[in-house]
Amino acid sequence: MIERWALVSGLKGDLDTYELIQKDLKKTPGNITLFVLGDMIGPEKNCNRLLHRLINPKSNDLQPWCIYGWWEEQILLESGYRGDQRAETLRINKGEEVVKSLTNAVDKSFLDWIAALQFGFVELDCGLIHGSSKDIGENLTLDTPPLTLLDRLTRLQVNRLFTARSKEQFHLELTEGTVNSEIEDLNGNRKKEQKVPQKAVIGIGAGKNYTLYDVGTDNTQFVQAGYKSEKRIKGFGML
Amino acid sequence: MNQAVISCLHANLPALEAVLKDIELQGITNITCLGDLVGYGPQPNEVIELIRDKKIPTCQGCWDEDVVDGLDACDCSYPSQLAEKRGHFAHQWTTDKLTKENKDYLANLPYSIRKDKCLFVHGSPNSQHEYLLPDMDAFAALERVENARAEILFCGHTHQPYIRELADGSIAVKIKNAAPKDIQEKEIQLPMRRIVNAGSVGEPRHGGTKATYVVHNEVTNEVKIREVEYDLELTCKAIIDAGLPQIFAWRLKNGFEFAEQAEDASHVCER
Repeated sequence: MIERWALVSGLKGDLDTYELIQKDLKKTPGNITLFVLGDMIGPEKNCNRLLHRLINPKSNDLQPWCIYGWWEEQILLESGYRGDQRAETLRINKGEEVVKSLTNAVDKSFLDWIAALQFGFVELDCGLIHGSSKDIGENLTLDTPPLTLLDRLTRLQVNRLFTARSKEQFHLELTEGTVNSEIEDLNGNRKKEQKVPQKAVIGIGAGKNYTLYDVGTDNTQFVQAGYKSEKRIKGFGML
Repeated sequence: MNQAVISCLHANLPALEAVLKDIELQGITNITCLGDLVGYGPQPNEVIELIRDKKIPTCQGCWDEDVVDGLDACDCSYPSQLAEKRGHFAHQWTTDKLTKENKDYLANLPYSIRKDKCLFVHGSPNSQHEYLLPDMDAFAALERVENARAEILFCGHTHQPYIRELADGSIAVKIKNAAPKDIQEKEIQLPMRRIVNAGSVGEPRHGGTKATYVVHNEVTNEVKIREVEYDLELTCKAIIDAGLPQIFAWRLKNGFEFAEQAEDASHVCER
């Protein structure tokens, strides 16, 4: 049996899209594990029905494994779950109205469930997170310097990092490389060469755009809910 | 022109005086301090006041931050529960001893200082608590310097002085799961960067008892590690007289290397 992961993010209260993805996955061959990498909530629409469904899946739903994302972090900040801090970044960048919309979009009864979610999962040699291992709000994209990508992989001690924050879908491999270092201390000098281990960063998309990952073959499929899966045609951005 | 970089004074006045004398003897007037003026040692006010009198630009260390804002590092900062208990005792002792004026001074220290291509921090550009050890992952080390937009990163915190040059680096990347005609590969050349750790004036952990600091020639980019002898007995006696844990004097006297360093020094405390 093929072992596949379905990686979803950025639903932002959209139960219809979630149902569409569940429907897709029922038709997808293999043994599928569904991961929801944050941003289940957002300020645009009431999120209570989606949250209720994630917490109480229907009998024929795939069980979702959820972590918190940037929007969950904002509501936890604003609701006093992070000490004295409040959602000031959101307030400054988007205004008080958006902060209010967010808190109105989520019933308080869901906050403890959101607060209990993890920052990420480490499955096999893969890290599944919303932003990066440095910051939940960090966008990792094809244009992120490889040195930064390598650092984010190293921090989590994984070979593949699945990220959602950028909303983009991509599969970037770090194939090889090297750096030489010379260290001088009170014991003298020593030289070392370090090679880049083979690693990858995968952007899983957001909303209707999600990713299927074949654990056995290390292949990704970028899918749009309700449509046939498609191979992604995407190059590097401007340098 | 030479500049001296000192770090981790840890309330050890005899060590600081000896180092400043050594710097003066070399005719160096440009000094930068990387923080941790207090903690462990018996003369926190005296050390702060000497730094203030000399108008030495200083960034805030983890101890400086903690005595002002309260302890915010997790127990990962210590190798054992006993060490943590000692650290907390020293924290409270220091907090009680410091004058309000000196606490205000520590509270207002900058997190980093930038001078042209040089960036000065206590731990790393990410955190005052992060240890940039000499043999840490080379790519991660390079990332710390490069993402801080510096050519030379001066840091302390480990109490082990070193100079590390990272050069001839490259990373090759490839997009997978694209249409065959669009598969793109490229190789990115990495810049040459340096990390210079100034060691510790007041609590060396390099296996010896001498205070250490570094001298950087801003024209030739040459960096030298300096070792300075100081009146160790005086500091050890002051530690015991102050009622601080005797082990602080014992490890200074023996120059123990790993006395208080966390077991997993690469761990970045998220608190």
